[in-house]
Parts: sequence; C-alpha cells; structure tokens
Amino acid sequence: MSEKLRVTNLVKTFGTNNVLKGINLTVNENEVVVIIGPSGSGKSTLLRALNRLEEPTSGSIVIDNVDIASKGVDIDTVRENIGMVFQHFNLFSNLSVGENIMLAPVELKKETKEQASAQAKKLLKTVGLEAKFDATVQSLSGGQQQRVAIARALAMNPDIMLFDEPTSALDPEMVGDVLAVMKDLAKKGMTMIVVTHEMGFAKEVADRVVFVDDGQILEQGTPDQLFEHPKNERLQDFLNKILNV
Amino acid sequence: MKQKVFKFLGWVALLFGLFFCLVQSTVTAQAKTYQIGTDVTYPPFEFANKQNKYVGIDIDIMNAVAKEEGFKVNIKPVGFNAAVQSVQSGQLDGVIAGMTITPERKAKFDFGTPYYKTGVVMAVGKNSDIKSFKQLKGKRVALKTGTAAADYANSIKKKYGFKTVTFDDSNNMYEDVTTGNSVACFEDQPVMQYGIKQGLKLKIVSSPANTGWYGFAVKKGQNTELRKKFNQGLKKIQANGTYDKIVGKYLGNKTNPKVKGKTFTIGTNVTFPPFEFANKHNKYVGIDMDLIRAIANEQGFKVKIKPVGFNAAVQAVESGQLDGVISGMSITNERKAKFDFSQPYFMSGVVMAVGKNSKITKLSQLKGKRVAIKTGTSAADYANSIKKKYGFHTVTFDDSNNMYQDVTTGNSFACFEDHPVMKYAIKQGTKLKIVTKPAESAPYGFAVKKGHNQALLAAFNTGLKDLKASGTYDKIKAKYLGTDDNGSVAKTAADDAGSRSFFGLIKQNQGALLSGLSETMWLTVVSIFFATIFGVIVGLLGVVPSKFSNGLSSTLIYIFRGMPLLVLALFIYTGIPSLTGTKIPAFIAGVVTLTFNEGAYIAAFVKGGIEAVDPGQMEAARSLGLPFGKSMRRVILPQGIRIMIPSFINQFIITLKDTSILSIIGLLELTQTGKIIIARNLEGFKVWTIVAVMYLIIITLLTWLSNWVQRRTKV
Repeated sequence: MSEKLRVTNLVKTFGTNNVLKGINLTVNENEVVVIIGPSGSGKSTLLRALNRLEEPTSGSIVIDNVDIASKGVDIDTVRENIGMVFQHFNLFSNLSVGENIMLAPVELKKETKEQASAQAKKLLKTVGLEAKFDATVQSLSGGQQQRVAIARALAMNPDIMLFDEPTSALDPEMVGDVLAVMKDLAKKGMTMIVVTHEMGFAKEVADRVVFVDDGQILEQGTPDQLFEHPKNERLQDFLNKILNV
Repeated sequence: MKQKVFKFLGWVALLFGLFFCLVQSTVTAQAKTYQIGTDVTYPPFEFANKQNKYVGIDIDIMNAVAKEEGFKVNIKPVGFNAAVQSVQSGQLDGVIAGMTITPERKAKFDFGTPYYKTGVVMAVGKNSDIKSFKQLKGKRVALKTGTAAADYANSIKKKYGFKTVTFDDSNNMYEDVTTGNSVACFEDQPVMQYGIKQGLKLKIVSSPANTGWYGFAVKKGQNTELRKKFNQGLKKIQANGTYDKIVGKYLGNKTNPKVKGKTFTIGTNVTFPPFEFANKHNKYVGIDMDLIRAIANEQGFKVKIKPVGFNAAVQAVESGQLDGVISGMSITNERKAKFDFSQPYFMSGVVMAVGKNSKITKLSQLKGKRVAIKTGTSAADYANSIKKKYGFHTVTFDDSNNMYQDVTTGNSFACFEDHPVMKYAIKQGTKLKIVTKPAESAPYGFAVKKGHNQALLAAFNTGLKDLKASGTYDKIKAKYLGTDDNGSVAKTAADDAGSRSFFGLIKQNQGALLSGLSETMWLTVVSIFFATIFGVIVGLLGVVPSKFSNGLSSTLIYIFRGMPLLVLALFIYTGIPSLTGTKIPAFIAGVVTLTFNEGAYIAAFVKGGIEAVDPGQMEAARSLGLPFGKSMRRVILPQGIRIMIPSFINQFIITLKDTSILSIIGLLELTQTGKIIIARNLEGFKVWTIVAVMYLIIITLLTWLSNWVQRRTKV
C-alpha cells in the first residue's frame, strides 16, 4: 500500500480561533478513511483544507509527493484530481443535470462535448439516474441531487474523493441510495476521505476511522478498534451519545 | 476708357434728366411716379453696369422701397450736385446719392431714416509710405466736390498743412492719386472699399473718421408723403432681409475682421421675457436675442444661442464652455471681478409685484410675509438687501414662472423682478400688478469671461453703438416693450383660444415636444448603454478576489452614488472645463453624468446580485478545478443576472426619468422643452400634463420591453 496523501502539522486559525491545532494524517492509496467527531470539532475544516477551499494557516499537505499547501502550486490543477461532494450538493442551478456533469470536463478541455456527454450518461447510469440527463436540478429530490453531485465530481476522474457529510441534509429514506453509491465507489478502489455521522457506513466500509475533537486527532484505527474498544475518554463519550439515542 | 464712358453716360443722363424735368413740371400734379435724383457714378451706391443699367446700393434700395410701398420711381443719374440742386429747386422729388446727413443739409432738406452708415477714410497709392495725416504736410490731396469726405479733409487741412485739389467725380480723383499728382484722397469708406475691390491701385490707411449716416432727402417741408413711404418701405426691407441682401451684394457683409466668420456660443436664460424666450415656433426671441443677432449680423460673426438658464450660462462662461452671456445680466462690481462687461445696453430697475387683488402697496406691508425671488438676479439681491429692514422672508425659485406662480397662488405675498420683465409678464397675462417704482436701477450688459474673448466684446460694443445710431436698437426695444407704457407690446405670445386646449397645445407644440422626446430617448439609450458597461465592470471589480479592486469598486460606488445627479451634472459640465480648459458639449456631459450616476447604482446591484448567489455554487465550481473567471462566467453570473434583472428594469426607468434633471445644463430634452413652452404660454398645468403623459407612455413601453426580455431569460 503506497502513501497517497500526507498531512503534517496542519494548523488553521480563523482570527484568534484555533480550529485545527496541528493535524497529522496519512492516507494510503485505495484507502477509505472516515472522519468522525462532534460538531464544531474541525472535521469539516480539515476536509476542506485538503483541496484548499480553506486556506491552511501552516503545515503541509503532500499529495503524490507535491506539497499543495505551498504558494507556487496551481491549485486549480490539483483540484482536478480531487473530487468533492458537499453536504448541500451545490449543483449548479442554472444548468441541467447533464450540463452539471459535463461543465468541468468541457471547460477544462479534458473532453469534447460528445465525449463528456457520453461519459456523463455513463456516470448517471452508475448512480442510477440515467433518465435524468436532461432534467433540471430543481426537479430532483435531495438524494437524487447528491448522487448527481457524486457523478459530477467523478467526471474529472479524480484520484481522491472528499465527502463532506454527504447524507446530513437528506431525508432518511434517501440516505440509503447515496450510501450505496459510495460503497460501490469504495469497492472499485477509490481513495476516499469521508466526514460523516453514518456509523453504520463507517463500520462497514471504512478501512480506518479517525476521531477528531477540538482540532486534533485524538484516536484512529480500524472500525473495530474504534467502535468496539475506544480508548480515548472523549471518543467513548461521543460514541455513547450517538449510538444510544 | 471706362471713365470716359462713364463721363459720357453721365452727360447723356444729365441731358435726359433735364429733359424729363421739363416734361415732368408740366404733369407734376397727377404724377404717381416720383423723380429721384442720384449721382452719375458713385459706386457701389450708383453706377451703370455692363448693360448700361443703373445699379448700386442706392438704386436697389430705392427700387425695393418703391416696390414695397407701391409707388413708382424714376431714378435720374444727374450727378450729385445737380441732383441736390434739382431737389432744392423742386425739379426732382428726392435725392438718394450716398448723401451724408449733416446739420447744414438738414436746414434745407428733410431726411428719411438713415439707411447706411459710413465714415471718411484716407487712401493712398498702393506703394505709398504715407500712413498718417501728419505725413501729408505740404502735399497735395485729391477731393471730390460737395462730399462729406471733402468737408472732413477741409476741416483738417490747416492742422496738417496739406493742399487740396477738387474733382467732380470719384474716378478722376482716384486717377489723380494713382498717377502720383496727389499723394492721397479722402473718400467715404464703402465707396473706397468697393473701388479697391474693383481693382483700384489704392490702399486705405486710416480708420473711419467723422462717421455719419447716409439718408434719403426731400426738400424741406415738401414731399412728406414720399419721405414717409420711404421710411416705411425701408423698415420693411430691413425686416425682411432685402436690405441686407442688397448691401451684401455690393460690399459683401459688413464685417469686423477680428470676429468675421467666427461662431460664438452665447448663453442665455431659458425664459426671461421680454429679453429671451422661445416664440410659438420655438425660436428664441426677445430684446437680448434680437440685439445679439443684429450685432452679429452687423459685425459679421455668427452666434449660437444656448438657452441654458441664467446660472448655468454664467457658470459656463466662467468655465469657458460658452463664449459670452447675454441674459438681462446686471452689471455689478461683484460680477466685474469675474467678467468683462460690454457697454450697458439696457437700464433696468427692480419693482415689487403682488397679486392682482392684493392690498399690499408698500414694502412696509411685507412684515413677516413670504416673498418670492429668483436665484442670482439683481432683483433678488435687492430684496435680500432690504429684507431685514422690512422684516419679510424670502423663498427662492430657479425661474420666473415658478416665482410668479408662487405669488398668484398666494403662497408668497409679493415678488421682486426687473421692471421690463415684470411689465412684459403682466402684459402677457400674469395675474400680478406692479406696486412700486423701479428701484436700484442697474444697467444690463453683455459679458465674457474676464480677459477672454476681447474681440467679441469689442465687436459687441461697436455693433451696439452702430445699432443705436441707426435706430435699430430702439426698434428692437419698442418691438417688445412698446414705445411708451400704454404702447403696443408685440403680442408674441398671444395665442387664439383654440390653441389653448390640450389638443391645440399638442398640435401647436408637436414638433418641439417630439424633438424633446427624441433627445430624451437618445440620452436614455446612450446613457443606459454606457452606464451598464460601467456598472457591470465596477460591480465585478467588487467581487473579484483582490482587495485593491474591491476597494476601487466601493469607492467609485460611494462617490457617484453619493453625489446628487444635479451636482454631478453641473460639476462635469461647468466644473471640469474650468479645470482643464476644454469644452464639453452638453450632450456628452449629460451622458457622462448619467453613466457615472446610474452606473454606480448598477454596480451596486451587480455586486449585490453576485453576492446573493449561494457561495456553495462557487465552492463547487472551484472544487472541480474551474478557475475563478470560468466559475464566474459559467455558474455565478448566469444566476446573478437573473437576480439582477428586476433591478436593471428599475434602473432603466430611473435613468429615463433622470434625464429630466439634465435640463439644468441646457439640454433640450422633454422637460426643458416643457419649461420653454410654458415660459411662452404660461399654460403650466396643461403642458406639464402633456409632458407627464409622454413620460408615462415611454416608461410603459420600456416596462413592456423589459418584461418581455425578463420572460425570455427565465426559460
């Protein structure tokens, strides 16, 4: 297993607020890492720092031996290889479903319109929405929108996929469809970093679970280690709260 | 050779003349054909042309007058002296022969209205070194018998010590100088000018002296009817342009070389009757207008009248946008600091006017009352200077009509205005009456920027002097004010009852209203175009990730949104030229004003519209690797514009309405057109209603168009 991403001493402050207090994390190729933690713990900020949607205050993020946190890096090129899925889907509301998926490949000259359209249809098929190619974004349910968002992120053929609470904004009956797509993606060997509260997903799919609280990684290990034998007191406390509702 | 022919013809003509006189004396009782004597050859006033037909300024004027008044003339070129003597003896009825009006001649003749201004000049040989009278000492000078020029030369001959030789006709006199027998000759300026133009090898070396007027003459106490007819006819041909054509034909236009052919832009008030106002045909007339045009005509320059309002005109002259201002402007010491004034051309005085049924007759009755005045007028200064003493307070208006209105509606108890203006307004039907005698009399003057346009100022003074001397000035004044207080004011603004109805007013002012509307539309369309470009650029500068651009955008919006449109318009139109010295045409100044002002609003909502798009949209686009620009163009702007469209429609409508404010810099758009029409007919309510409806129609059309666009973009 080769190393895909290494975060060293990552610090992020908003004014005087220390959100990330020196994160060290390594993710291997084809690994699925699930980040859990209470809200406000910094897990979303950590994820967003990985493609510099949040500009790190200090530290390094090395992907394929390149420190993408350093100044000279063309972040747009880096981002082409890192797909991201948002809590609120963020589909482009002025474009149709197909156009949402085709936009980046065509604009960034990776594909011709015809190629992009063929690929978009293929991707829609894998997320079970091949009939929605021409639909407007507004006509889709939340679950459908999130699956389109995943297809959109995949259209650039990224090496890494980041998921920022992808099911938190969904109605419960929609969650299954989205998780199924993600499981499928994991099975195909995608390197994935997922911030989620879906412990079931974590247990089943994750290679490693990382517990973040107060801007620090307090514990990490296999799902079994973390969920069955948590060592850290705050992790135990956190698990108690969410599993015994 | 030519001279000999002339001479011969002269004799023939004289013989003919004598013959006709003999015949005439027998049938004189019934004769409706007047016998008029003239010189044999006194070009350009009378001479035989190639076809041996007598022509010239005198001949043409006489014929034109006769035609105008319906009488017949028989013009006899008998020679100047013969003609004068024949009139004296009753053989001829009148003489028109470039005859200068002198007191001596007045003792024996009755003169008609002066018809041509002249002066005596000295001419010398083309290569002569003589430049002044002093150089004539001991030399021989050629003169022509009985002319005013000869009189003048004789009057100075002792002083300068020259000898004279007298000839009976001009050609011989000229000949005597060109051959070198005499060193100089004295001649009337137009005659000399014409001669040189025709190829005489002489040059004029002195400026016109002893200026005087040519007049048509009849024997004292005789032929009164002929003289009257001549005066009436002359007035008519001067009014209808025939006179100018005749003079122009022989001399070219009489000009002042320093201003000749130049065009000066002269500012004036929008409405200050009887000095300036638009007549029925929307042409600017009035004492000021007629005067400046007459002077321009006389001095050979052209004027472009810009009725921009008094304050705007004064400021525009100061800033160099306009060359001069004639606007019933009182000459005050304060103003003299910034302007050079002409000789006063009108004496005015301030009067107080009150409502027709008001009981106020004295200043002392104004205590505690409200009084209307007009900004920047000497009447306002006067009112302000006495307001403490009499304890009244004032309210200020920008134009006379609003001021009168304030008194007639009873909001104010009185107003102060220049006497002629008030008198004229009342004659035109304003329901006010004058209750005080003119006070603070102040002369009106034409003004240019201090130290600038001195040639124009000099030309104005010369022209004014000439117009006063020729009676044209009095004629202009009488035309608007009547000759006395009960006199007949020209009913320039009188309209028949039919044209006072809505339909009548529309029909009558159709052309003006439509051209105002088209100016408004042009301003709107051009301004919207540039304002949109400006606004979108500044708006985008406000959202790009650059602190400098954001700051620039905020500053531009802050400045141009924060400045009243009126102030901005005046600043650009009058302020900038006084800093840079370059004129800005009003239309461009108007467009620039609207571009900045409306553009700032557009920038604000473009920025706001973009900011209103969910930030997640930008994040999603950026996370895919799309650069900022592409994300903006493909994702954010299409959504932002949809948010902005209602604001755009709103802004377009506001822009259209805001063009009305540009009337302040004299743009003849719809509102200004309305003001001008009202200034003439005082039908404020009806005209404003028409203007308002026109605005509403256009705005309705614009709204429909916008809604259609909006529907199309919502697909």
